[in-house]
Amino acid sequence: MLEFVQIAIGGLVVGSMYAAIALGFSLIYRVTGAINLAQGGFALIAALIGYTFGVAWGWPLIVAIPAAVIATVIAGVVLARFTFVPALARLSNANVLMLTAGILTMIEGFSLVVWGSQPYATPPFSGEQPLAFGGITIPTQAFWVFGATALIIAALWFLIAETRLGKGLRACAENPAAASLMGIDVPRMTLFSFGLATLIAAIAGVIVAPSTSLQFDTGRLFTISGFVAAAIGGMASFPGAIIGGLFLGLVTQLSTAYISSLFSSAISLLILLVVLIWRPQGLIAGGVARRQDTRDDVKAAGHAAKLPAHLGWPLAALAVLVAVAIPFAVTDNGIMSSLVIAAILFMALMGLDVLMGYAGQVSLGQAGFMAIGGYTSGYLAINTEIAPALSIFAGIGVSLACALVLSVVTLRLRGLYLALATLAFGLLIDSCAVGFIDITGGPSGLVGIPSFSVAGFTFATPRAMYYLVLALDIVILLGLFGAMRSGFGRALQAIRSDQMAAAALGINTVRYKLAAFLISVTLASLAGSLYAFFFNFLAPEMVGTSRSLELVAMLIIGGESTLVGGLFGALLLTLLPVMSAPLAIYKTFASGALLVASFLHLPQGIYGVLIQLLTRLAGARGEVAAKVNPVSDRVQAS
Amino acid sequence: MSAIDTQSQANETAMLSVRGLAKSFGGLKAINDVSFDVRPGEVTALIGPNGAGKTTVFNLVTNILARDAGRVVFAGRDLANLSPVEIANLGLVRTFQSARVFPGMTAIENVMVGGHRLGRHSLAGQALWLWRAREEERRTRQRAGEMLELVGLSGFAGMHATELPMGAQKLLEVVRALMAQPKLLCLDEPAAGLNDTETQELANLLRAIRKLGIPVLVVEHNMSLVMNVADRVVVIDSGAIIATGTPAEVQNNNRVIEAYLGKEDHGAS
Ligand SMILES: Nc1ncnc2c1ncn2[C@@H]1O[C@H](COP(=O)(O)OP(=O)(O)OP(=O)(O)O)[C@@H](O)[C@H]1O
Ligand SMILES: [Mg+2]
Repeated sequence: MLEFVQIAIGGLVVGSMYAAIALGFSLIYRVTGAINLAQGGFALIAALIGYTFGVAWGWPLIVAIPAAVIATVIAGVVLARFTFVPALARLSNANVLMLTAGILTMIEGFSLVVWGSQPYATPPFSGEQPLAFGGITIPTQAFWVFGATALIIAALWFLIAETRLGKGLRACAENPAAASLMGIDVPRMTLFSFGLATLIAAIAGVIVAPSTSLQFDTGRLFTISGFVAAAIGGMASFPGAIIGGLFLGLVTQLSTAYISSLFSSAISLLILLVVLIWRPQGLIAGGVARRQDTRDDVKAAGHAAKLPAHLGWPLAALAVLVAVAIPFAVTDNGIMSSLVIAAILFMALMGLDVLMGYAGQVSLGQAGFMAIGGYTSGYLAINTEIAPALSIFAGIGVSLACALVLSVVTLRLRGLYLALATLAFGLLIDSCAVGFIDITGGPSGLVGIPSFSVAGFTFATPRAMYYLVLALDIVILLGLFGAMRSGFGRALQAIRSDQMAAAALGINTVRYKLAAFLISVTLASLAGSLYAFFFNFLAPEMVGTSRSLELVAMLIIGGESTLVGGLFGALLLTLLPVMSAPLAIYKTFASGALLVASFLHLPQGIYGVLIQLLTRLAGARGEVAAKVNPVSDRVQAS
Repeated sequence: MSAIDTQSQANETAMLSVRGLAKSFGGLKAINDVSFDVRPGEVTALIGPNGAGKTTVFNLVTNILARDAGRVVFAGRDLANLSPVEIANLGLVRTFQSARVFPGMTAIENVMVGGHRLGRHSLAGQALWLWRAREEERRTRQRAGEMLELVGLSGFAGMHATELPMGAQKLLEVVRALMAQPKLLCLDEPAAGLNDTETQELANLLRAIRKLGIPVLVVEHNMSLVMNVADRVVVIDSGAIIATGTPAEVQNNNRVIEAYLGKEDHGAS
């Protein structure tokens, strides 16, 4: 019993932290309708700055901690002013969510550059000596955490309920259009809510820092826990956020103590998935239901870049020629390997593009299927006599089975909730990869996977693997291209831009979305298997959630709904760090920053820019040709 | 009581027969015992002041909203328990009040989506570039081109649909629905936001559709359009039918005049 109480108190400490972050989620969600995944990143940054001020520079804590909080809030507001606020006006809410995932990646990359990858510990505010109450010991920091959380809740409640500012925030939450008609400056309110959420996260970060260890990517854990807490409790409700946070804290601590630390996050994610099926709006619903027949996402779709028809095939042929010739020009094995990696990831990216770019279904868990494919075929190749090609199919089979189960959840969800569910799925697979040590090798990975071989030929060198993957890429690209430029792709695009109008024309939205999902899962699984065969090794972080986020970044940077766009993103993000080793440490930061910049300034991605350049070049040429030979030009045009 | 009585008398000869339809949102009775028919080969107009419940009737007929009571029979088939997709595939095709062209697609692609329900769209066929799939694609494109030609939008074919003028977007939506070869076309305020010449074009298009033998149910505020084109008019106010008849009959009906003048003289012009 004593032990239970002891653990429960620990759970409440962690839960308070989750609750604080979840409150930030709810606040921004209520005011803007969007989710800010960078929340946990700010908590981490505040904690690390607090460490630098307080420990490295030796400032007294009473100065260092407030200074860290203030610095973080300023950074957050500036960042929001140039990214989040303009994005809200231009992007759909699901894309804003991915943009904030980019901000989170940026923060992670920044922390990596500044603080490196080692863990940090900050000292407790009032000494190491815990207090004892009849057999139960409570670290003094716990009281700081409880106190700060209570204070945050009270202050937030007062602000929202009792002040004019709070009235403005509430007006924005209820109806932004009406609020702006009433003279409320909605962008300023958005910025204010962002700043407030950052403040809450920063306070939570510095206060909880002494009871946990900090690393450059701890921010993601904070974000995810806060996010899961908010989603369980109800995204639109403050009491929901608090209850969700405390509940999640208790569940994780108790399951760590009584079941296994390896599965504690799996359990909380399962709870989340169950809540999403049973009550997608969370345990405590807030706000009003929307009218069904009005379009909810007018900002959803932009134009994808399209190659002028007569340039398509010649350019494709040229690209294939170049791709075939590359191994003769590239002698460096490192670069060759990165090319193979980029080509493998391209496979997954084509699938992701069908799902996200064409069907408009957000997925933040794509690497989860790479993991399922990779681990299944790796395990089979090591432990059985089965041919590698067959093991890949087995991996695809397992992936599809999981996808069908997951689709019970995802097909009912859209936008934000879909992103949430896929993220949760990816994280669940993550923790299974770590937890099922017998099958996956756990955190240290699955070793001894043989190279891929077919009919006696082994693809042992990067060059052999390159040609194998290239051939597969071309076949897949051709197939998908055929489908996407025909009725199938049009139906997906119609669903993406307006589900209800698509359904009213007789398009079976459920069937098409499921088909797009299964295509993307098949390709991700295939990519995961090839990845494992190529490295002869597979570890959880190779196919974890950061990989999922990286895939999204690659796709957006390269250019959505183009099929080939992903290749440019993959090449950029895999080749740059290899070509110049000093750049490697900036890779995380760059992928986040590029993702954010692409969302805001290059909606058509690198591919779109290239197409524009080409069209302009061809256009200039075309004009000359028209003058020389007007008749043939007209014949071509007709 | 009366709802049950009228339910039994679903009109067998009508294309669409609505009996005793009812729907409440929270405490608000948005639709109360609404019954009317759409006859084959006719243009039927559904009119009424703002907020009368016209769009809600459409949503109830196409099962986008679940109804509280009532029966809807389309071409002899009860629509209860069918999904919006299944209803569309029976040939009841509707448009939406707010212009809903698909952004990110060109005008001709928009129209081609309308032809979706008529094709096979075998994924394998398209992915393998089979001749049959490409032929289907070619035919759809050709038919869509002809459709655009019909309403004089050929010039816009390759443009992004959202870049078309508002009037053209509205026409495009109607054409897209027409591309689906509907047995009944339901249009929700197709003339909203159109200028006089564009409205005239729309009137011509509606007459052409009637000539093709396709019955139309149209929600419209523009009275001159209604009076010019409609064969029958159904007037709804505060969720209940207050008059049914030819345009001339309805125009002189006291309750109709009252309903319009009582609220705002919106449609009286
Ligand atoms: N999904 C919904 N949830 C709540 N109320 C609704 C919903 N749909 C319609 N209403 C309400 O039902 C009533 C009828 O609305 P409806 O849109 O059908 O009117 P309408 O006749 O189409 O008006 P308009 O001419 O403005 O388009 C209105 O009071 C509206 O607010
Ligand atoms: Mg309406």
